[in-house]
Amino acid sequence: MTFSRESRSLILLTIATAVLLSLLPVPALLSPLKPYWVALVMIYWSLETRAMINLGLAFLVGLVLDILSGSLLGMHALSLVVMVFLVQRFRPRLRFFPPWQQAFSVLLLLVNDRIILSWITALLGEPMPTWKYWLPPLIGVAIWPWLFLLLDSLRARMRRHKT
Amino acid sequence: MANTESSGSSRWFGEEGARTARLLMYILLAIVLMSMDQRGHYVPRIRSTMEQLFEPVFYLAGWPAQALQSLGRHTSARRELIAENRQLRKQLLETAGSVQTQAALWQENQRLRHLLKATQGQAYTFKFAQMIRVDLDPFSHKVWIDRGAGDGVFAGQAVIDGLGIVGQVEGVLRHSSSVRLISDPDHALPVQINRTGLRTVAYGSGETSYLLMPNVPLQADVSPGDMIVTSGLGDRFPAGFPVGEVEQVQRDRGATFARVYVRPYAALDRGREVLLIEQARTEQPRIEQQGHADLQQAEEP
Repeated sequence: MTFSRESRSLILLTIATAVLLSLLPVPALLSPLKPYWVALVMIYWSLETRAMINLGLAFLVGLVLDILSGSLLGMHALSLVVMVFLVQRFRPRLRFFPPWQQAFSVLLLLVNDRIILSWITALLGEPMPTWKYWLPPLIGVAIWPWLFLLLDSLRARMRRHKT
Repeated sequence: MANTESSGSSRWFGEEGARTARLLMYILLAIVLMSMDQRGHYVPRIRSTMEQLFEPVFYLAGWPAQALQSLGRHTSARRELIAENRQLRKQLLETAGSVQTQAALWQENQRLRHLLKATQGQAYTFKFAQMIRVDLDPFSHKVWIDRGAGDGVFAGQAVIDGLGIVGQVEGVLRHSSSVRLISDPDHALPVQINRTGLRTVAYGSGETSYLLMPNVPLQADVSPGDMIVTSGLGDRFPAGFPVGEVEQVQRDRGATFARVYVRPYAALDRGREVLLIEQARTEQPRIEQQGHADLQQAEEP
């Protein structure tokens, strides 16, 4: 599999956009619904390519997100590393799942991530999160198909552009 | 085939094992980083350098909201603006009125302090700052403001809004700085109950809706509605600034202390503008003899 510089920059660009999106302020009413953008994009790329996405990149992206969002340094790094590991581990199966089944696995991944994060925040002495804490995975799954199509078409356009 | 980086270790563990080993290594690294960050070893310094590097990103991310807001300002109806203007004028007049009486009170307070030869009261100057509208981790208890080292902001500076204490400056960058909110579970604020003068400490609860005072003696005179102000101990927050109002007092029979819940006055999660308290401007104390003269005069009649 040849891996061009263009698609490499596309990967980095989409990840950077996802980081910016997670910093973007939303009205207070919507803020508990905010999906985990970076995770969704990372899941997509680790499903679709093998060349660039690895645990090291996941860790780095997580650290950048930690610094920008002011969370404990290493928290998002841990969550993204675990997520990318799981996707890569079950990649052969996930890739050939029908779309609804794939979406369901994405939901499981996001919920699993929420569980890990809630352990960490519990260790920090934060109060137990309310039911709203579990909404973002649902929103994330609702967005997943559209994000998948968007990134697919971006990639296709890139490829056409090249040839 | 496999990732190139695993070629070394895969000889020992096999493909799958190598990946698991790497996962464990990264998890360990993340845990070490987190515990170091939590205890304040080295990591805060690394963080502040990295933040320096990423400073433009905050402006980039905050820009759309700002643009929307200014667009809203341009298109808001004339009628609304007039109404808002009238409202603000009224508010200004009311505030000016109460400040006038306060000026007289301040003078009187100074005179009395002088008679008692107590330390001089302090007056403060404030610096206006705006929050940069970026969405941070809800567990970070942190906001960014648009003033930095270039504007004379320093770490530890107290931050208030129109209603009460908001937090203290934590990291200072060139054009922005981060403010740790008083709702952070690691934040302790030296306070006193305004009515009785009882001094205690208000801790963040992790929720922006209340603070906790866990060290109030069971028999202490505290009741809902009491105003909590800063005590000025610890030299970080100046004394006498409103913090919040006692909402609930929990006196368990078996416990040593009462648990007091305080509702902060400041709009911790939805504020937009804040004030930085500048270094206190202390009036030069007058010469000792004059103080004596005052005292004698006061005693004579």
